[in-house]
Amino acid sequence: MVAERYDGPLERVTPYCWRIPKSYKTGMRVDGLIFADERLIALIREDPALEQVANVAFLPGIQRASLAMPDIHWGYGFPIGGVCATDPAQGGVISPGGVGYDINCGVRLMRSNLFQKDVEPNLETLIHEMFQKIPTGVGRGGIYHFSHSELHGLMESGPAALQERGLAVERDVQFTEAHGRLDGAKPDYVSGRALDRGYDQCGSLGAGNHFMELQVVERICDEQAARLMGLQLDMVCVMIHSGSRGLGYQVCDDALRSLRHAPEEYGIELPDRQLVCAPVDSPSGERYLGAMRAAANFAWCNRQLLMWQAREVFQAVFGRSWEDLGLQLVYDVAHNIAKLEEHVIEGQKKHVWVHRKGATRAFPPHHPEVPTEYASIGQPVLIPGDMGRASWVLVGQPTSMEQSFGSACHGAGRLLSRHAAVRRAQGRRIDQELREQGIIACSRSWKGLAEEQPEAYKDVDVVVDVVDKAGLAKKVARLRPIGVIKG
Amino acid sequence: MYETFAHTADVGLRVKAPDLNTLFADAGQGFFTLIVSNLSDVELRSRVEFHIAGRDLAYLLADWLNELLFVFESRRLLLREFEVTVDPDGLKAVARGETVDEGRHVLDHEVKAVTYHGLRVEQLNGDWLAEVIVDI
Repeated sequence: MVAERYDGPLERVTPYCWRIPKSYKTGMRVDGLIFADERLIALIREDPALEQVANVAFLPGIQRASLAMPDIHWGYGFPIGGVCATDPAQGGVISPGGVGYDINCGVRLMRSNLFQKDVEPNLETLIHEMFQKIPTGVGRGGIYHFSHSELHGLMESGPAALQERGLAVERDVQFTEAHGRLDGAKPDYVSGRALDRGYDQCGSLGAGNHFMELQVVERICDEQAARLMGLQLDMVCVMIHSGSRGLGYQVCDDALRSLRHAPEEYGIELPDRQLVCAPVDSPSGERYLGAMRAAANFAWCNRQLLMWQAREVFQAVFGRSWEDLGLQLVYDVAHNIAKLEEHVIEGQKKHVWVHRKGATRAFPPHHPEVPTEYASIGQPVLIPGDMGRASWVLVGQPTSMEQSFGSACHGAGRLLSRHAAVRRAQGRRIDQELREQGIIACSRSWKGLAEEQPEAYKDVDVVVDVVDKAGLAKKVARLRPIGVIKG
Repeated sequence: MYETFAHTADVGLRVKAPDLNTLFADAGQGFFTLIVSNLSDVELRSRVEFHIAGRDLAYLLADWLNELLFVFESRRLLLREFEVTVDPDGLKAVARGETVDEGRHVLDHEVKAVTYHGLRVEQLNGDWLAEVIVDI
């Protein structure tokens, strides 16, 4: 397989929106719509991502368009940065590839009462303690042990189940997307193999592009929103990026395996076998959904425990309680998930399955799912950039609902393949280069760090700019990394 | 013979061999080079047997590599040597290696899964060719 450039039709609809007409390929039920500007679309054309946008348009029951965020890049089946919504009333399907292997991979942001000047004298100690205490690395498990029934409880209820163990407080749950729990989770649908892979990994970071970062608020674009979120200039925050670990990966793999022949059974023609799917209302569809929700709830527990461990590290280094240090959760978002949501489509309210594969929910002000404290500003949208530049906090906008089913991007998007990134890093010490920029990076693998180096990613400022100008989400604050731990 | 090829977010594995047994054996070895930096440092202390049913060669390859992934994750076993016999109903294999020793083995990638995107096993000019993309 060659990473072929996209040479199909692409029409500019607005300066921030491009269309692949459905006439491009026989079988496309809707157009493809890509949120990008001229700079980004030139990069996006260079791999097969746009072909994948066109392929997603084949899915039965798809509504409005096959959508792509400005950080889109080549995935498998679905592009990463892809969004689509399917209507069960129209034979709409659920597609595990539209969620991804890392079910409910996502991001959470914790603020603090500490400012850069408070942390500087202890920064080395803080980062090294985090690296020592927080489980990172390939296949590494966490420090918490759960019985079989406790594990079921985590999969059924999400972080609310951790409150009894004293590993979460009510506010943590309230400020998590969906309160950390998708209803209808069926832990019994999670295979023994998935449990074997993930049972001891709750509270571990993993490897690859997962990270825990110390960040400083370096710019505020929306004073009111920042104030409501408890963010101030120079404030130290902690951003965590991780997902459902081996449990989720296996749930997805199990589903892809069991759905192998589903398209033929249901008479669905697909241009790519990784788009395997089944009608939402079919036994296969229900089975996947039950397991997916269980894995999603497990992922929220994972991020909750990672945050809890970070709080404990801060307590140990600063000698004060985490509450006293103001280490409160700003918000937690999923960016690999499928959810049943109400949207207005052609003037009618419909319940549709929104697949966000490398895309973040961005609900507007006063949406019932937005915490009361944020009602006037909208749902926080957390966008991690690369480890050398910046991450962003935004809030969902009203126009996101009609344009993208209330969705925005999830990151900067990869620019270089892992190969190309490693080649560029030959003879270099990426950790030293970051240190010279004032960022302390700890990683378990030179290759891992090389593959995740800043140059491997698009410029998150450009991506976020498009999201803002397209009206999907509005900028609130830019955060600069000062320390990062990786697997 | 195996090599990796570029994929923006993940990694591709391409294997070429004169016969199916060697193809699957080399695919196994290539797979573990994605996980561990220095496969040559993996000693042969443990032995694992595999029996995998399947008639579609491409799916059989994905299932084979996913079994290897499961063995790595559940038993922390790195495997270096493979003897594989492919027949019309599936494959049998014996693999040898050892458990991860973090003092000697550098683990590069956490493999989430072996995907079906671009998955192929086919004959080209008498040789066998396989390609698979692995989600990192």
